[in-house]
Amino acid sequence: MTVSPMLARLAAEHATGALLRDHGTLYLVDGRVVHAESPASPSLDVLLTAGGRLAQEGWDEAVDQAGARSAVGRFLVDSGRLGGGELEICHLGAVFDAAFFALAPASGPTRFRYGVGHWFGTVRPVSTAAVERETLRRRELLDSVWPYAAVDTAPVVPRPAAPGQTVSLRQRALLAAADGLRTPAGIARLLGRPAFHTLLDVRRLAAAGLVETPFDPLPEAPPALPSWVGEVAADPDIALLRRLRDALEAHL
Amino acid sequence: MPGIDECLHEAMALPGARGASLVDWTSGLALGTAGDSPVGNHETTAAETAELARAAAEYESFAAATEGEELPKGPPVEDVIVTTRSGYHVIRFVETSFDSSVFLHLWLDRSVGNLALARIRLGDLAERLVLG
Repeated sequence: MTVSPMLARLAAEHATGALLRDHGTLYLVDGRVVHAESPASPSLDVLLTAGGRLAQEGWDEAVDQAGARSAVGRFLVDSGRLGGGELEICHLGAVFDAAFFALAPASGPTRFRYGVGHWFGTVRPVSTAAVERETLRRRELLDSVWPYAAVDTAPVVPRPAAPGQTVSLRQRALLAAADGLRTPAGIARLLGRPAFHTLLDVRRLAAAGLVETPFDPLPEAPPALPSWVGEVAADPDIALLRRLRDALEAHL
Repeated sequence: MPGIDECLHEAMALPGARGASLVDWTSGLALGTAGDSPVGNHETTAAETAELARAAAEYESFAAATEGEELPKGPPVEDVIVTTRSGYHVIRFVETSFDSSVFLHLWLDRSVGNLALARIRLGDLAERLVLG
């Protein structure tokens, strides 16, 4: 099973450019994924500044200084603002996070713009196959925890814990941010956590009964039988119906 | 230390090292791997060790010491050690100053590996990985 046939083709031809989909964009260099963005997942600057790791001015200055030559990541490390390992951990996390949403099943068109790069620059390229495998694994993981996708996009509404029920530190921070209005994506941005991690924690909390699971909208009523169904038997075959009834009764 | 690969490379230089990886314990994603996996597939090992690490990081009994204090950035647990008949597994939590959930996993051959040394060196590597 593949997530995007186009992605496999682009990898095979070692393409460089941007793959634009409904829910996000994947940037490729030489057929490998170097960056990803999605409106559903917090961007790298949010992840780094929300917890106070980097001041917003430090980020802005890096973009000003190195954005034009697509080397913002390199600049953050070389200027001592971030450790090399930190950058890789944070960036890889953000790439797989955004890719999960960008590669979500979508009805819209997928386009590829050759030659388009991202201003952040290359940090640690990953193969398209690894990104696709991880995206599929994440979908299955969410459903294995709590198969109700409605909690992913609805405002998070906490429920009281049962007596003796414990909540982890990370989940406590999540619940504290749930004001009944914020969605998982909103909480992820506020806490500076990857959006998928927040979705997964929300599903775990919902499974534990600590977050409301909204009811899915009722399935639409099946379409009414077309009118010709009643007209076919304008002249019912009484004899056939009697034989049918007798046969059925004989089996009672 | 420049990055993930160098860190894993150093871990693999420890006596008896058979495999090393950097794993995100919330999602089960392997951010980097080196050497072998006990099951022949680093992604499977990453997902499995992540579940073990998450249990240790989240259960109240291991977090009790921080009760009442401000939420720490990293988990209160430092490492998780599993010994098997043929090997040692050392899982070392990495503390970053942004919100993350990663650990280093080192798999050692039991007949050659030195558990005490590996634990100390892995803690050191985890620190240097983020301090740069």
